[in-house]
Amino acid sequence: MKKIIQFKNIVKSFDEQIILKGITLDIYENEFVTLLGPSGCGKTTLLRILGGFLDADSGEVIFDNEDIAKLPPYKRELNTVFQKYALFPHMNIFDNIAFGLKIKKMSDDVIRQKVTRMLKLVNLEGYEDRKIDQLSGGQQQRIAIARALVNEPKVLLLDEPLGALDLKLRKEMQLELKKIQQEVGITFIYVTHDQEEALTMSDKIVVMREGEIEQVGSPIDIYNEPVNEYVANFIGESNVIDGVMKKDYLVSFDDKDFTCVDHGFKDNEDVDIVIRPEDIEIVGRGRGVLNGKVKSQLFKGVHNEIIVETARGSHVEVTMTIYNKKPIFNEEASEYISANNFYVDVQDFDELTDDDIIARADAQAWDAETEEYVGFSSVTYEELVGENTYPVTFSTSKGTSITIEMIGVKQRYINDEKKRIGIAAFDFFKTLDEIEESQALDTDLKTWADAVSWDLDTDEAIEIRNVDYDFEIEDLVPGTYKVSFSTVGREFKIHTTKSSEVDKNVGLSFDPEAIHVMEKMGF
Amino acid sequence: MNNYKRLIQPYVLWISIFLVLPMLLIVLYAFTVGGNDVLTFNFTLDNFTRFFNDNVFIGVLIDSFRIALVTTILCIFIGYPAAYFISKMNVKSNAFFILLITLPMWINMLVRTYAWVGILSDNGVINNILSFFGLGQLHMIHTEFAIILGMVYNFLPFMILQIHASLTKMDTSLVEASADLGASKFETFKRVIFPLSLPGVISGITLVFLPATSSFFIQRLLGGGTILVGNLIENYFVTTGDWNFGSAISLIMAIIIMISMYLTNRLDKERGED
Repeated sequence: MKKIIQFKNIVKSFDEQIILKGITLDIYENEFVTLLGPSGCGKTTLLRILGGFLDADSGEVIFDNEDIAKLPPYKRELNTVFQKYALFPHMNIFDNIAFGLKIKKMSDDVIRQKVTRMLKLVNLEGYEDRKIDQLSGGQQQRIAIARALVNEPKVLLLDEPLGALDLKLRKEMQLELKKIQQEVGITFIYVTHDQEEALTMSDKIVVMREGEIEQVGSPIDIYNEPVNEYVANFIGESNVIDGVMKKDYLVSFDDKDFTCVDHGFKDNEDVDIVIRPEDIEIVGRGRGVLNGKVKSQLFKGVHNEIIVETARGSHVEVTMTIYNKKPIFNEEASEYISANNFYVDVQDFDELTDDDIIARADAQAWDAETEEYVGFSSVTYEELVGENTYPVTFSTSKGTSITIEMIGVKQRYINDEKKRIGIAAFDFFKTLDEIEESQALDTDLKTWADAVSWDLDTDEAIEIRNVDYDFEIEDLVPGTYKVSFSTVGREFKIHTTKSSEVDKNVGLSFDPEAIHVMEKMGF
Repeated sequence: MNNYKRLIQPYVLWISIFLVLPMLLIVLYAFTVGGNDVLTFNFTLDNFTRFFNDNVFIGVLIDSFRIALVTTILCIFIGYPAAYFISKMNVKSNAFFILLITLPMWINMLVRTYAWVGILSDNGVINNILSFFGLGQLHMIHTEFAIILGMVYNFLPFMILQIHASLTKMDTSLVEASADLGASKFETFKRVIFPLSLPGVISGITLVFLPATSSFFIQRLLGGGTILVGNLIENYFVTTGDWNFGSAISLIMAIIIMISMYLTNRLDKERGED
């Protein structure tokens, strides 16, 4: 095959922000090439440089063995299908398609013949006299393609042409575009952020990220052998796991060794491992290579997406004390007041404000008749020194007051050295009413226990994903309960046509070929 | 929704009292003769026959429309390139030039027109400069040239702003598509940019042609004795006090303007349907 386009070290920046960091890419004749990446990765910029609408800061664009970097768009032998079609609103369909031919001063009967043939190609015969606004989005899209192809370009550029269409139409147009490309036999360069579109249509996919090319390959290569975590995540769904390549054909993660088909890494090199969701099978507990518990099941049409947790995240458990306390009523002022005992870390004493105390005690006062909240005029407590129990009194301006206990403790931190995660939470007190009134219990429990988790190395917050407790809200009575908070553990996404049940203990099985080992991404 | 609809009522009232009613009065006056009292009207077509049977009036009418037409055409030819080049500039200079064009409008039109008297008169700025260089005198004030100059000067911003608006809101991808399909810059202008900016030109024409036909002080200040329709109407209302004849002339003007506007719009539509 012959190279038709060569990008050589293309650099482009806007306002000192580098959009393309030296793109080098060859495109061959009759290829359907897709530039794939999220918005802002530079794919459209690259296409516009090829179309002649932007100048590269440096680098060469070779088209048919000729540097075209300085050529204006109208002298380039390629045509573009624009994102929003860009059909001329003051012309009918015929004139739109004939535009390029009229510029070339072709004779009327040749023009008529070519336009008719194009309309046939895009399945819109007999639409010559229609106006643009009488067409649907999909039809306008076809006209835009016909308008470009009628000029018989060597390369057709398509800038997210299906973005504005609905899903069903998009799928139809994908097949149609592929058909048209095969029929006219020219190179199509297609820009999209939709990985499925790329997989469906392309001969070659160019995965881009932040102005650089991550991987170039056929859809099958890119899907089966992604070079890194980014490509794996972008193309299809995947489970990406941190692991260590112990030696050739042996990789380890979550304290277990797995045989695999990959080799050529350094011994004990840190790697990323990809296992595609459809390559994992759910089997009985103990019969697979990993055991876990089903967390959720989602119906996705053709398959079920099942999440199985094989290893628990870092976790901390606290005691929740529920008492049956009612708000205090002050008849004189006609006000109610309520507050809870609470625990506080002695380390936080210095920074403790009245507002914090009100929030932690969940102290509230309200007018008996209007039910409107009343502000507190004072929050009084003794000097805070060390681990002890401190009475705190909240009062309103009308003299309604309540006293509760603030318990100073050294907070329980759990440092999970292995995962490098810290997690902490407080025991807490609540009334039955408060639990029952909670709209989002998991979130409220996190707030009440002040549960937090962080990365031990970077100090960045880590989401506390799971809140587990040993009670049912319906039969909750005063007493003490255990509530545990945990970060996300090792979860596998599995696509299967079978179904499972949430909370069921299962085994996971996958072949050594299903494990794809990749180099860690450098930053 | 119905509650909000009521909010329109004050405007309906306002428009009825200050717009519809006066117009009806003009029609009423135009078709009656003097000496009306509140209850009796003497309906007649005399006002119109008087106008169309007098060659002087017809001459004034033709002069007025000729001058307005020339003004409008000049405004298009000066305004279009100006609007085009401003719209091509970057955002900052774009805003600056638009400000520059609207700036004179902050000053009263009458004052600005007076300034031209000082510039154009026989012993005005231009003739002073000419005589300084030993060149002969140019008689400019009280000519048709001066009237047209004054009108173009006063009404040009309206044309530029309208065309500029239609050029700036044009989808740039259409221009790119044209270049992509092989059209040079000139071809792109001819086939895409200009046809798509026509609505702006049409509304510019409306905004220039209308005030140009009915203006009366520009020709009085710059045209000396030149009488145009605007002055006729003014005369009959203010000086002669013949409101009936004045109304009739206003009505004739309004009808001719309406017809010409209708024709211009039709022309635009037909172009679009080609």
